[in-house]
Amino acid sequence: MPLIHFQQLMKFSAINLSLLGLILITSPSFAQTSASNMNNRSLAATSASNMNNRSLAATCANCHGTNGVVVPNSGMPDIGQLSKDEMLTKLMAYKSGAQPGTIMPQLAKGYTDEQLNTIASVLGKK
Amino acid sequence: MNRRHFLGQSLASAGLLAGCASSAPINISKAQVVVIGGGYGGATAAKYIRMFSNNTAQVTLIEPNADFISCPMSNLVIGGSRTMAEITSPYENLSKRHGVKLIKDMVESIDQKQKTVKLASGSTIKYDKLVVSPGVNLMMDQIKGLAEANQAGVTIQAWKAGPETVALHQQLAAMRDGGVYAISIPEAPFRCPPGPYERACQVASYFKKNKPKSKVLIFDANADIVSKAGLFRKAWATLYPGMIEYHPKFNVVAVDAKTKTLKFEVQDDVKADVLNILPLMRAGDIAVKSGIANANGRWVQVNFLNFEATAAKDIHVLGDSIQVAPLMPKSGHMANSHAKVAAAAIVAELGGLEVNSAPVLTNTCYSFVDATQVVHVASVHQYNAEEKTFKTVPGSGGLSPEPTTLEGIYAWGWAKNIWADSLA
Repeated sequence: MPLIHFQQLMKFSAINLSLLGLILITSPSFAQTSASNMNNRSLAATSASNMNNRSLAATCANCHGTNGVVVPNSGMPDIGQLSKDEMLTKLMAYKSGAQPGTIMPQLAKGYTDEQLNTIASVLGKK
Repeated sequence: MNRRHFLGQSLASAGLLAGCASSAPINISKAQVVVIGGGYGGATAAKYIRMFSNNTAQVTLIEPNADFISCPMSNLVIGGSRTMAEITSPYENLSKRHGVKLIKDMVESIDQKQKTVKLASGSTIKYDKLVVSPGVNLMMDQIKGLAEANQAGVTIQAWKAGPETVALHQQLAAMRDGGVYAISIPEAPFRCPPGPYERACQVASYFKKNKPKSKVLIFDANADIVSKAGLFRKAWATLYPGMIEYHPKFNVVAVDAKTKTLKFEVQDDVKADVLNILPLMRAGDIAVKSGIANANGRWVQVNFLNFEATAAKDIHVLGDSIQVAPLMPKSGHMANSHAKVAAAAIVAELGGLEVNSAPVLTNTCYSFVDATQVVHVASVHQYNAEEKTFKTVPGSGGLSPEPTTLEGIYAWGWAKNIWADSLA
């Protein structure tokens, strides 16, 4: 299935690049101010929070595919086509009960609003 | 310098200098992570450690089976509506797409001091982090005569999908119309809480179509149906009236292979034509042998922030082998969820980053009540820092109101996506 592979690569690249960007931005001060604990801490915190966000979004992957790239024709809704805002609106509607469904209303209620926002940021179409 | 290399060094050097790092990091691109067991837990961990480390950490997966055969959906093969090919996936994508090194072997022993594992083939592999995801071991010696009955080909468990799955279907196919299939269920916890009750549905579905005078007897050591009780009870009554008998608090203590008889702790003996006897379960052998199964010698207690065994540093245990948090089922979906939390924690620890203090797990479990209609149970588990465990979120999760074919479509969608998420 070359198509999925390509899509997955594109998604990976987008995420990797964003991580790379964060490191590049913080790196110069990191190099120049040799041992500033503040800078080191923020560098570590940035990378850790990026991974934590990906890890949180990965709780959706069991059903909707790794990085939101669904298995084609698997019968599962393709959330990879939604923008961040569309995804967040949908998740919040499931959480409030405005949007009916089978399993999603029950799952959405288990996340905080902030977590749903993070998930939509990571998985929403860029 | 390529991007991967650069990222690996950045993560590592960030860790070396970070004042808040909890443990001394090593160069992540030189880190050796060894994963024991390629089920839902181990395969997912191998893939996600590669992904979260931006393909820098070296990951080796040790698994004896040539292919991944899914336990979820395997009851449909027993009932004859699906084939083994439909529940089998290759391992090769883990190496081709994610650079995981695959070794087809078994781990004989773990040397915690040297940080090595010894393989059945004789070689030794060094690890910085070890992931242990060996599933369950069936405690055959807890039921008198069971090992002998299995050896004689009389009893069968089919609680690990594979050749036994096919063999159990063949036993049903060979049984006379008017025969009796008996399944016995051990005291919880066991792998896949709704599994035995779904299996009863699938066997009944097969009988209804092919051998309508036959019976399904369920002998449950527990006081009631362990999962989706109301939904199963209703499905049995409406779809298979008069065919399925459910007997709670029936604890099998012995089996006689010659007369195909079950003996119980309290009640009278029962004879059956096909005997599907499930004994008590415990963590997979390697966990018990290594001395890390510190909950009654049966399950492994873990730190739920990183799934590290409480009895062993740098050994992370996933899936069915762990001593669970409240309301956490031993399921494939849950093992996949464990793996992602552990993968992020392992990469963080190797890179000297702070481990996530608020991980989240989900569980989704679909059960087929016939060949196409399905019910689900779902839950969301947030880490509770005060109690150092995962707790389900009040008001979240729940059951299907009734079986539907729509959820049958979602169940296959779940299967295809979790197989890809774990293995492709």
